Amino acid sequence: MKYAWQIAWREIRWEIFGDRGAIFRMAIFAALPVAFVLTNRSPRIGEIGIFALALQSVLFPALSGVALISSTFTQEKENGTIIPLLASPVRDVDIVVGKLVGMIIPVFSLCIASLAVYYVLAGSQYGETRVAAALPPAILYSLVVVALLYLLTAGSWVLIVAALVRTTRAGQQVAGLLIALSVAVFAGLGAAAAQIGDGYALIALGLLLVGSDVVAVQVARRVWQREEVLARL
Amino acid sequence: MIDVREISRRFGNTLALDHASFRVEPGEIVALLGPNGAGKTTASRIIAGILAPSDGDVIVDGISVRTDPNAVRRRCGFVTDQPALYERMPLREYLEFFGRLYELPDTGRRANELALLLGLADRLDARLGTFSRGMKQKVAIARALVHDPPVLLLDEPATALDPEMARTLRDFIVSLRARHRAILLCTHDLDEAQRIADRVVIVYKGRVAREGRVGDLRAAGRDTYVATFAGDPERARAALNGVGIDVLSLTQEVRSLEEAYFAVVSEAGGGSPVQPDRRKGVDA
Repeated sequence: MKYAWQIAWREIRWEIFGDRGAIFRMAIFAALPVAFVLTNRSPRIGEIGIFALALQSVLFPALSGVALISSTFTQEKENGTIIPLLASPVRDVDIVVGKLVGMIIPVFSLCIASLAVYYVLAGSQYGETRVAAALPPAILYSLVVVALLYLLTAGSWVLIVAALVRTTRAGQQVAGLLIALSVAVFAGLGAAAAQIGDGYALIALGLLLVGSDVVAVQVARRVWQREEVLARL
Repeated sequence: MIDVREISRRFGNTLALDHASFRVEPGEIVALLGPNGAGKTTASRIIAGILAPSDGDVIVDGISVRTDPNAVRRRCGFVTDQPALYERMPLREYLEFFGRLYELPDTGRRANELALLLGLADRLDARLGTFSRGMKQKVAIARALVHDPPVLLLDEPATALDPEMARTLRDFIVSLRARHRAILLCTHDLDEAQRIADRVVIVYKGRVAREGRVGDLRAAGRDTYVATFAGDPERARAALNGVGIDVLSLTQEVRSLEEAYFAVVSEAGGGSPVQPDRRKGVDA
């Protein structure tokens, strides 16, 4: 897996931190939850509200990762840069894992940072005691795990789309649809998850994501075999 | 050395290569010629270990692409018609990245060597997106040479290059031959092939139609001649047929403006100015 790390590091260094557009998109998704907290000064906000905002703060940055993963794969195909990679002594799985990891590490770091910022801001806005009661360590840990699972799952599904479409624009359009769908789900999810079993319905969501992830990775493994990719170039 | 043994390759119902066989020896440039869609790119990708053949095998430097494609990739440098670079990366980082994929011990030194060799030493820290098309193609060649491979596969490397850059590239390819590398040049540019190739393999519809040294192929077949005359073409054809000469083609010559000018001047009584020699051959 040393090749995968080389590829992942290149993605992080040059395709994320070397691309102002990518940084800007990530910053917007990270700033949104902060804006929600700063604009919501209602003293009546309950534990459900605090939890829902926490869920948004950890998952919104993850949405930017979906677009990033989509573009990294479709751009490789569109620009032909996948050919020199395939011509090097690197296994197919190293390429796929390297690119996924290279996108997931920075976005996941942003998710954690966003949740930490939210926790501090919410404490100052709604009271530290209330926030600590609404977001015990187990819930915070679950939120982080759900964000990681979401990134892995969405990344795998986007990977499949990227293998099937020919252009970056088409890939971005499908990623946009996935993001919109995710926002719609997450908007209602906070309230629902918090009402059912003291918020531990997140475990069910986690299991759902894992199941989806297994299916997605199996399909992705098939469509990203080099023969399939080259046939579509 | 490249030994292509009866390789075939199918994409669904399409047969891209059909039992193609040829060899490229060390210190030799072989041009793989053919029209678009003939199977040149598929052949080069199979040799490079990127694609697996449906049938047959390729032995590169003694290693089969079927049994150990990764080892074959370590021995091949592959250049495509498009440079296909990561344009946000500076040249030095780019070459070092590929050097690490090939597990070179000192990637920095190798990047410096290649930049010097290809005249890009002053651009080592410039982003690849700022390079001209010709410079990008040089970078693609540097990438292919980063691990000093014994086999070099060039798929239409001079496409979209200006004549000066194309010539520089040709000279560089010829210099690599002197370093005992086996070079396969896929092209449909006959002039390019004639200039630098030792041997030619012509592929058509996935099959090897002809193989041989450039001089031998040019001399093959019966000699033909071109005549220029004024008059009735059908009478000329009949006359030639009458004395036992086959007329293979008879095409009306469209005069250039220069030729029309000289004709007009000549008819106007301006003498018979010296016309440029338009064609080498046998005058009637």
